[in-house]
Amino acid sequence: MSTFRIIAGREMWLALRNRSILISGLIFAVWLPVMSALGIAAGAGEEVTILAGSIAAVTLPVGVFMGYIFCADAFLREKRDGTIETLLCAPVSLRRLWEGKAAGVAVPAYLMTLFSAAVTVAAVSTLSGTPIAAEPLLLLHLVVVVPVWIAAAAGLIGAAQLALGMRENQILGFVFIFGFIFLIVGLQQVAPGGPGLSWTTEALLAAAGAALLALARVIAGKVTKERIVRTIP
Amino acid sequence: MNAVEVRGLSRSFDGREILRDVSFTVGHGEIFGYLGPNGAGKTTTIRILLGLLAPGAGEVRVLGRDLAADDEARARIGVLFENNGLADRMSADGNLAYYAGLYGVEDPAERIDELLALVGLADRRDDPVGTFSTGMKRKLGIARAILHRPEVVFLDEPSSGLDPGAQRMVRDLIIELSRREEMTVFLNSHHLDEVQRVCSTVAILAGGRIRAFDSVENLTAASGRPAVTVSLADPGDRARACETAGRLPYVTGCDVNGDHLHCTLADPGATPDLVAALVGAGFRIEEVRRSSRSLEEIYLEHVGRAEGEA
Repeated sequence: MSTFRIIAGREMWLALRNRSILISGLIFAVWLPVMSALGIAAGAGEEVTILAGSIAAVTLPVGVFMGYIFCADAFLREKRDGTIETLLCAPVSLRRLWEGKAAGVAVPAYLMTLFSAAVTVAAVSTLSGTPIAAEPLLLLHLVVVVPVWIAAAAGLIGAAQLALGMRENQILGFVFIFGFIFLIVGLQQVAPGGPGLSWTTEALLAAAGAALLALARVIAGKVTKERIVRTIP
Repeated sequence: MNAVEVRGLSRSFDGREILRDVSFTVGHGEIFGYLGPNGAGKTTTIRILLGLLAPGAGEVRVLGRDLAADDEARARIGVLFENNGLADRMSADGNLAYYAGLYGVEDPAERIDELLALVGLADRRDDPVGTFSTGMKRKLGIARAILHRPEVVFLDEPSSGLDPGAQRMVRDLIIELSRREEMTVFLNSHHLDEVQRVCSTVAILAGGRIRAFDSVENLTAASGRPAVTVSLADPGDRARACETAGRLPYVTGCDVNGDHLHCTLADPGATPDLVAALVGAGFRIEEVRRSSRSLEEIYLEHVGRAEGEA
């Protein structure tokens, strides 16, 4: 088995057994969609594409937030406990370690986001009386755009958590979350098709997500073992 | 080729010099003790050797390689830091299996069985590590560090935070591993008793410099002139016996030290002559021992000197 799969597999295993993070994730995955569904159903009427667009707009910030909370276990905890130092001595490159951990974070975060999306769809469908689940662009959004953004968020936040000290991480964690959310809302606003669900909006979001993922890879490549070791508390 | 080579190593952090022209070597199969007070730069040296920090100046090699840029060479190295490198939520077996995968251990199940039996944790293999005592975690950490049969293993304060029983267990385990697995052991410690019992060679680091580097035997024996401690059957004879010994040509000094005499000799072979002379003078001798300084005395002397320089 490749070291990438070993590292990713372990992170997924640990994430799915971290009760406190799972509970936080589940609360967020249910609370935000239910609260949003009330507004979506009231504001969007019965127009399917507008309803689906509003659901899609909610799922991206949820995915980014899920990536953030799972990163805290995979990257920050490992650094706080000092166990990252032992991993850095293993015959695995730092890039491979980052890739494995980011993937191990992204998969449970994506599963949790899908659960949250299912709750949102169910709530909006029930409140509006309009079936939304089979909307093709919404499915494309959930299958392509959301995982790319979650991977980008996990990669960028993970690289930052490896490179920064604990205090900087506490402060910058929220900066990252709000930065991502402003970026998502901004892209939805400037997309030629408007904030609703459209091919151009989805293409723009997918391209932006891919660019962020590439940026995360570049930033992770700049992080050194010395930087990580010197910021272990 | 030595297992570990350090030449002219220097390193500063934020303008503060931590290591200054540090040089030493560790031979294959040796148990090497790296001693020094807190903040002396021991962990910095280990981190530089392991490629986690870059040297400011000088050169370091482990098995002739630079570990910073050599994944293959890192597969031949084992390391145990103070935190043991274990995930608390995973079982003992799960932790070892993870590292076995990373290091590409062949037949990992058999090796894990063997090591869990060696460290006495076979019956706890499925329990989460978070439920283990500090001593059990340390034992598992050692098993993790040697899982892939490394040629050199770095142990950073392996007895830190352990009770005396667990310290002894770790000490015995290090000796057993060195003998059984023929590993070179780099032991970073300020537990002097442990180092004296376990290590063949030591280096003392203080004030950023190597103050002593030699075999434990040579360091503890090198107290200037050879000396013996003589215990008499009748303690009341100590002053007269000291006077008698002090007149002998091969005795360069004699003091009453507690309940025994401490005689320094011009020649290490003069001990039988001293015993014969004292017996001939009518003194009844109960015990004669060759004096040597403890590693603790030597360590404190060097550290004290370094503090004086600072």
